[in-house]
Amino acid sequence: MKIRHALTIPALLASLAIAPTAVAAGEGFDKLKEAVSINGYLESNGIYALEDSSPDEDPSYMFELRLKSELGSWGMFTAIVQGIDDGKVIDADNGRLINEFDAIYQDKNPFLNIDEAYLDIYTDNADFRIGIQKFAWGRLDEINPTDNLNTEDLTQASLNEESERKIGVPALKANVYTDLINIELGWVPRYVPYRLATSEERWFPPVLRAPDTIPTGTMIGDIPVTGIYEEIDLPAFTLDNSELGIRASRYIAGWDLSVSYFRGYDTMPVYTVPTELIINLENILSFDTAVDALAHVTPKLHQMQVFGCDFSTTYGPFTIRGEYAYFDGKYYTRKTEDVLADEITLAKQQDIMEEFLRELIRSGFTKTRQTFLLEPDFELQMDSMKYGIGLDYIHGDTTLSGQLIQEYIPDYDSHKPIRFNDGGYDTIITLALKQYFLQNTMEANLDMIYNFNFKYYLVRPWLAYNFSDSIKATLGLIWLGGEDEYSLIGQYEDNDQVYAKLRYSF
Amino acid sequence: MKYYRVLMAVFVLSVMFWPLANAEELSAYQIAKKSEDLMNQARDTQAEMSMILVNKKGDTRQRKLMSYGKNYDNGAQKALIVFESPADVKGTSFLSWSSPDKDEDEQWLYLPALQRVRQISTGGKGESFMGTEFTFYDMGNRNLEDENFTLLKEEEIEGETCYVIEAVPKEMKYYSKVITWIRKDSSMPLKMDFYDKKGKYLKQGMFGSIQTIKGIKTPTHIEMHNVQNGRKTIIELSNIQYDTGLNDDIFTQRYMKRGR
Repeated sequence: MKIRHALTIPALLASLAIAPTAVAAGEGFDKLKEAVSINGYLESNGIYALEDSSPDEDPSYMFELRLKSELGSWGMFTAIVQGIDDGKVIDADNGRLINEFDAIYQDKNPFLNIDEAYLDIYTDNADFRIGIQKFAWGRLDEINPTDNLNTEDLTQASLNEESERKIGVPALKANVYTDLINIELGWVPRYVPYRLATSEERWFPPVLRAPDTIPTGTMIGDIPVTGIYEEIDLPAFTLDNSELGIRASRYIAGWDLSVSYFRGYDTMPVYTVPTELIINLENILSFDTAVDALAHVTPKLHQMQVFGCDFSTTYGPFTIRGEYAYFDGKYYTRKTEDVLADEITLAKQQDIMEEFLRELIRSGFTKTRQTFLLEPDFELQMDSMKYGIGLDYIHGDTTLSGQLIQEYIPDYDSHKPIRFNDGGYDTIITLALKQYFLQNTMEANLDMIYNFNFKYYLVRPWLAYNFSDSIKATLGLIWLGGEDEYSLIGQYEDNDQVYAKLRYSF
Repeated sequence: MKYYRVLMAVFVLSVMFWPLANAEELSAYQIAKKSEDLMNQARDTQAEMSMILVNKKGDTRQRKLMSYGKNYDNGAQKALIVFESPADVKGTSFLSWSSPDKDEDEQWLYLPALQRVRQISTGGKGESFMGTEFTFYDMGNRNLEDENFTLLKEEEIEGETCYVIEAVPKEMKYYSKVITWIRKDSSMPLKMDFYDKKGKYLKQGMFGSIQTIKGIKTPTHIEMHNVQNGRKTIIELSNIQYDTGLNDDIFTQRYMKRGR
């Protein structure tokens, strides 16, 4: 255990010092506020890493401004803009100021983020929303298999709240209301990719990291590997590549029911790792060769369809929620080490060396350095389904919520294991306990996730205290682990941390 | 999230005892029954509400919200609460439908950060909600058939002559008894004393600043003081409007999301 961020406490205090300035500025906008509703917050966030082996993270600062302007009875304009100094970013070199809609690795700091900016148009029986926006489908908490129109910012893995992770996308939404049914239609003209931390940052997914070496099992020995993390190749801007979702909902006799359809791109990362083998003849007399590998970790996009349904109802003091999604044509990523082991066979090595020699001789012994590209098939396409049920119980100042969520792949091939699924199943249980104290001035929370297949867990106790209606402090612990270090949560087992937040809302 | 019930309770209390001044010959039950019949005389209501939570040190926290309510011919009621402040809960809304043929209300909560409407259960009615000194039961509709009423006496309090009515539940769930002081001249409640299930004095409600709006007398300042924990909740109502013809669309999930 060590203290990495001595600046955390000053950082927290600094935000308090800035707060009165923000108030003063707000007072100057009284006239503007008559026409525009202005809210927002200033937040500082620091961590105290509990493991030595994970990358550093500096304190972060965030300023969010929420503007709403009513446009008569027919509409409203909303903008949510964030200014962020992100302590997670190491050696930012993007050079841009605003988050982009075409990059996975944003690598910029500080920066602006347009979280949402849209125009609402209201009519008697339909509402329309045009602009950068977030959709919210499904009934489960945090994990919604039917909710695919927005991708997520995974630069803090998936440990922050869903509302923070979700990336607003340029889109058109229409809600049509009838006596029989309500219909929501979402159209995203161009896919916006998820975001990941860069490879040197604290929350870069270790499962995507190229292996240090490729074992050959021959006298060549282990081949050292250099990982290159490629940016995404977005699909062409065409109608066929746009994303579409439609959801029909109705309330019947105590049941909120919905069915949905989505056609678009997978929101989660799928990767291939085409690898260049570089053979360098170092001594032509002794025929000493050196072999190196460049692994190009390359994101891939695939269209899929998702057929979904969800419900919620109450039974006595309980609220029951459920959600189901069938993924038609979903792609999965095979384990890198398995694929490369399958690819670098003895026969393959012999073929490569023979080709190397032929080319060497053909060139008159001038081509002493040759590159061979390996493009094994990292992806598997398999239909799958994901479903879950949740139960909430509220009693006075106590809220208890539990969920059981499972992914099932009927055609799982045990000879080609994939990431994050074990024999066709991936089953987790989530638990969230909230207890208010002191007239809701203080809240104690315990969030937990446990995976039955990979035995990974997340335990997050946290405490929030409202010093006033404007100032709120949060102190929490994130404890991660699991038997399989390449599982969804287990891969971050070195990232245990204590965190503190201070937020001033206005 | 159930602040709407506070407003409803105010309306209920304001009309519940209205006829008492002219009904001295009635029994306590008849008085209560007549009050029940009168309590929903406004077809719809809307008001701005300020709720101040005071701890035993005197520290305060304030909530501001908009409240809408509507009564239907079949006895059903719908209500919507939209939070205006503090900033971190602005836009949060709470919708409730109650029906005489259903034991429990149907309720939904909209959290703008999640952009999702969630159906929620009624929960424990005897519990405090949102840190106030009101319970879910306090803010719901009382079923007079579940209680026995006794007109205890007449008493002068704060310079006003009041009827003192005791209500004892036939099956004790939340309180062992509630004693209410009714202003004799205006038929408006002045004070309510609540006793816990062990019979110990629990809390006191005070009702003041009575305004007559469209002929309906309404207390616009309510204080609930919990004598056991020393905490207090103060409610101030303003811009109260009755029978403006609120559209049914207000009491829908669509309106919750729009917030207007």
